[in-house]
Amino acid sequence: MSYVDQAQSSYESATSRIPESLRVYLPILPVMALVGLFILYPIAQAIYSSLFSKSLLSPEDAEFVGMANYAEIWSNPDIHQVLWNTFVWVTVGSVAAIILGFLMGWLLHEKLPYTSVASAIVLIPWVLPRVVGASIWRFMFNGSQGVINELLVTIGVTDSYVVMLGSSDLSLWPPIVGMIWRLAPLFALLTLTSLQGIDEHLFEAARMDGATPWERFRYITIPMMRYNLAIGFLLMLIYNIRNFSMVWVMTKGGPGVSSSTLPVMIYRSAFVDFQVGFASALSVLLFVVLLVFSYYYIKFYDKMRGGL
Amino acid sequence: MATDNTDPTAEYRKNQSWLFDSKAGGYLRKTAIDLLTLVIAVFVLFPLYWMIVTAFKTTAEIQQIPPTLFPTEFSLEGFRLVLESSLESSGYDSFVESTFGVDISSAINIDILGMILNSLKVAIGAGVIAVVLGTGASYVLSRREFRGKNVLMSLLLASLMFPGTAIMVPEWELISTLGLFNTHLALILIYGAMTSPFVVWLMKGFFDDFPDSIVEASRIDQCSSFETFWYVIVPMARNSLIASFIFAFLLAWNELVFALTLLDNQNYTVPPGLLTFVQGFNTQWNVVAAASIIISIPVLIGLAYIQQYFVQGLTGGAIKG
Repeated sequence: MSYVDQAQSSYESATSRIPESLRVYLPILPVMALVGLFILYPIAQAIYSSLFSKSLLSPEDAEFVGMANYAEIWSNPDIHQVLWNTFVWVTVGSVAAIILGFLMGWLLHEKLPYTSVASAIVLIPWVLPRVVGASIWRFMFNGSQGVINELLVTIGVTDSYVVMLGSSDLSLWPPIVGMIWRLAPLFALLTLTSLQGIDEHLFEAARMDGATPWERFRYITIPMMRYNLAIGFLLMLIYNIRNFSMVWVMTKGGPGVSSSTLPVMIYRSAFVDFQVGFASALSVLLFVVLLVFSYYYIKFYDKMRGGL
Repeated sequence: MATDNTDPTAEYRKNQSWLFDSKAGGYLRKTAIDLLTLVIAVFVLFPLYWMIVTAFKTTAEIQQIPPTLFPTEFSLEGFRLVLESSLESSGYDSFVESTFGVDISSAINIDILGMILNSLKVAIGAGVIAVVLGTGASYVLSRREFRGKNVLMSLLLASLMFPGTAIMVPEWELISTLGLFNTHLALILIYGAMTSPFVVWLMKGFFDDFPDSIVEASRIDQCSSFETFWYVIVPMARNSLIASFIFAFLLAWNELVFALTLLDNQNYTVPPGLLTFVQGFNTQWNVVAAASIIISIPVLIGLAYIQQYFVQGLTGGAIKG
């Protein structure tokens, strides 16, 4: 009797008492249990904890405070700064990654030989461990030995090395640059695949009808790519708003809160200031934003599947 | 003359995109595009280049101002320090000293090899959990109709939407309640939970496309549904299964947030371990770069294998990462 036969017979004897109509759920049960306990339950827990004033060090002394944590989000000037930073991150980071990524995808499709090799190389920033990528940028932006400072001095932007990561005016930007570097390849790959997916006969037909290159781009390329581009856009928003590692590795969100975004602030509230309740309220805020983005993501995804 | 062209597609290709229409702008446009290509290539590749050359510089050269574009002296000092410090912090230094007669004394303190072992343990554990549980579930979700199927699918999809950064606080509370704080099992379970919905989605795609006729043929040969699954379908699904495993493995290998919040530093996996070293006092960047290269190798091997699955993964409702 092989192992498989044994496994099968033990599976069948173990499940023989369960009615056939319920047996179909058995293979799904472990996944649902795991996901339910470790992903879905914590979401509910966060909503619950956000109503308490609770310390990480003594969680048993939780005190019900109702909406006070949310009221603090509303009134705390540090949080206003963080929300503004997050907004800047998500808009600047996403728009730059999209423009750059689109150009990269286009160049890969039209101009560069060995597309599959080139796109694999381009993807490296995206697949590299996040801490590794962020560490490289931290070193390049270093205030005393950083190569970017040397570049800025060489081309005459600054006279001497600037401690960008430690300056409350500038520290928001280096992590954004690093994030654009990480995300643009992803958008490039999406662009490349959707360009490759367009039927070349469409262009040929349009050319025979006398369409100019711009018209072909405007009336064929863009419409054919629209759902892929929409999905790519939402992915950029989602990845930017949930990013933690790029900021934390490069600046720890500082100095002060000058480079903190929402996820970094959640970490700091919970694991530096030990305010679990307040951190949970911030988490709920992040859920809500992610939920909105994800709703549209799924919507466009369905459309892409149905529409093409 | 375009009409004299013997290859009718040649001119069409040339004019396919307005941006690169060579007739419209001539050399100016061509130069602008070449310049753009160059700038983008430098932006993407320079950080990678910088990591590699930094790893091969000596500690003295790292501290030079201005930094050198090429190592003046090719050196393996960074890699040597990684190895020595790992041996020292894991207590093998005296063994190696007596066996090979080399003197080990490192001024830095980073146990990269120990972290890699921790990461391997966690990543393989999570990968196995995700593939084993996810495949079974996806087969049923793909092949059978039953009540609540859509609800289950939506729940799985929804769980992909919530990244570690959003649930790190309640996850900490949960893991503490379960008594799993500072254990690798906690990370294996969490990463398994994060990746198995993705495996379900990926494998469901495979099973959806799987031809019914093969299943029917095995039925006629009197296979039970379990035998059909194990002897017929699983071998054919080999590539998808390997891709699923690699996805799960890479997520666990790269994940920072949970590893940072749920482990103490003696149990750190690679991401929080490297982070601590990078943020430490007087960081030695050639060591960081050498360590970075070492821990990036599994990722690059994995990428080579799963590249074709990448886009499927991205546009497939799987916003993972």
